[in-house]
Amino acid sequence: MIKEHIAHRRTVLKAGAALAATGIFGLRSGPSLAQAVPGVTDSEVLIGALGQLTGPFAFIGAPGRDNMQMAVEKLNDAGGINGRKLRLLFEHASTPAESVAAAKKLVENDKVFVLVIASGSTGAAAAADYVRSAQIPTYNTVGATPIIREPFSRNVFHGTIPPASVTGQAMIDIGFQAVPSASKIGVLAGTYAFPQSHLAEIKSRLEKRGGVEVVIEQFDAAASDFTAQLVSFARRRVQLVLILGSFTEAGFAIKQAPEKGLTDVHYVLDGSAVNNAIISIIGAENTKNVWGYFNAPYFPTQDDPPIASYRRELVQKYGTLPQGRPNIYDLIGYGSTYILAQVLKKTGRDLTWPRLIEAWETLHDAKPSDMGGYDVIFPETVTATDHQGNKKVASARIINGSWKVVGLAS
Amino acid sequence: MIVVGGLKFGAIYSLAALGIVVIYKATRIVNFAHGAFVLAGAYATYGIVEGLNIGYWPAYVLVPIAAGLLAAAVEFGILRPIRQADMFALITSTIFIGIGLSEVYRLVQNTEMLGVRNPLPGPPIFIGDVIITKEQIWVLVGAIISALIGVAIFGYAPIGRGLRAMAANARGAALCGYSNDGMNAMAWFLGGALAGLAGIFAAPSKGISPELAISMITAGFVAAVIGGIDSLRGALFGGLILGVAETFAAAYVSSAMKNAVSFLLLFVVLLWRSEGLFPEAKIRDV
Repeated sequence: MIKEHIAHRRTVLKAGAALAATGIFGLRSGPSLAQAVPGVTDSEVLIGALGQLTGPFAFIGAPGRDNMQMAVEKLNDAGGINGRKLRLLFEHASTPAESVAAAKKLVENDKVFVLVIASGSTGAAAAADYVRSAQIPTYNTVGATPIIREPFSRNVFHGTIPPASVTGQAMIDIGFQAVPSASKIGVLAGTYAFPQSHLAEIKSRLEKRGGVEVVIEQFDAAASDFTAQLVSFARRRVQLVLILGSFTEAGFAIKQAPEKGLTDVHYVLDGSAVNNAIISIIGAENTKNVWGYFNAPYFPTQDDPPIASYRRELVQKYGTLPQGRPNIYDLIGYGSTYILAQVLKKTGRDLTWPRLIEAWETLHDAKPSDMGGYDVIFPETVTATDHQGNKKVASARIINGSWKVVGLAS
Repeated sequence: MIVVGGLKFGAIYSLAALGIVVIYKATRIVNFAHGAFVLAGAYATYGIVEGLNIGYWPAYVLVPIAAGLLAAAVEFGILRPIRQADMFALITSTIFIGIGLSEVYRLVQNTEMLGVRNPLPGPPIFIGDVIITKEQIWVLVGAIISALIGVAIFGYAPIGRGLRAMAANARGAALCGYSNDGMNAMAWFLGGALAGLAGIFAAPSKGISPELAISMITAGFVAAVIGGIDSLRGALFGGLILGVAETFAAAYVSSAMKNAVSFLLLFVVLLWRSEGLFPEAKIRDV
């Protein structure tokens, strides 16, 4: 009897051990299957992003982070995407080396599912080779440089900011709209990635156009003294100046121009300088000859319903914003997150990199309002052979002390 | 035009240099936190002009007082307890105070560059082929007048007598009834006030960012040494000379030469006339 009891007890113990082992493996097999796809669990999708949070170009990265976070929270409040919540991991990256390091950390250490490059052309150019080799789905939201676009890679998608070829042509078109008979054009360009990619396009297009003398002067990033460049333009009596740089660089150049003998000149600014903070620098009385292009349908301070509603939401979350914000990078950070959410939704519950890319390539006229957001950016359309989501550029002028979008430039 | 432009920046450098010299003359400390005080003055100007939107005139009164109090607080809270330490420790402390204050600005202000409106908007003035903006006139005249007031206070006012006494002989000044602690605090207050004024004039031209602290301490220090580190008159002329030299270098060589020429000028002066171009002390070879 005792032997039977012991045998029975051993059987029960073995069965219990087998059951426990099955349970353990069962618990492990659930998440381990999902975690075979990096950044995806049963309940969460991890989005990685990089951009400048400090330094002279923090006006690009910090708004991107703030607005991506706000959009993620709104999407999660509305139930998430296909039963999963989104989580954002934003890394600071200012220099090219930091951009590569941040991308590697997000992909290899943090194992994000998708990478967003929200740092502009410098970061995009630096991380381009890495993201192509890592094959992670990458969303380049603000980089205009051709280095991230060529060679074409199926895992890289581009959002609001069109390539430099489109925006460069827009600047030329706006310039000749301002000064139809311009025969001497000055181009003032920063020596860093974004202005240089613009400069190459503008130079070749003006040469092709013919009939204009082009004077090119360059400056280092975050420069605030443009004496040499402005004196050169004044000597050559240019009628139109295209400024390829940030709002501080453009602002100080325009402000110093009369002191260096450059008067009665029209200026066309690139999109990153189209920012209300420039008005304090140049003075409201000096704005009538200032034009620019803008990569969104509304300037952030306009009163049209989508942008006014968006602005209310932003202020409600973050309170009073620093001077010059919201800017284009606020709009892009917000709108791009909703576009990405739409892509994730299209992909379905079974998230993998190939399926995400396939879904992305079927995106047509995607707007933030499709996912409950405000339409503060142009709609995006992507195909299997053309990963540039937006190709529209708006023309802008300063009216009554604030920038306003006045039409489409292209 | 280039000369006028150079004199405009030179006048701002003169104000910054004057503040450094005032503190040095009274306390024998080269204050490398001076750039941070200029930044504080510029930021306070932004707060009054753009934030409160009450114009520049209140800024001319409030900003020097605020910057002076900040400088006096730094002297009282950080430097006074270590006043008996060697000079290297004191000077190093001012370097780190300057870095610390700049980083506090960066943390508080969630943007890298702020702009302040032009105090004198309107079209420029044409004198023949020369174009002069109203802002240039404002900076040049205003900064020089402020500098002259600072020189007058230090040179002729009763408080200036106390500062000069302490600079000549601290123990002797104490025996004559001057409070060393009080005079030290006053020297730092005056230096800080001059930095604040430099900030008011620099803000519209250079923008407000942590880089302003670095550029102003560099220019102010070089201007002070060129003119004579113990000479108020030297600080005034040193700043003007530096401003014109930098602007000519930028106009006729390249913008990159601007910084290089200021250090080149410094080395030349130190090698040729180490006491500065306008020293107060008379040097005799015996």
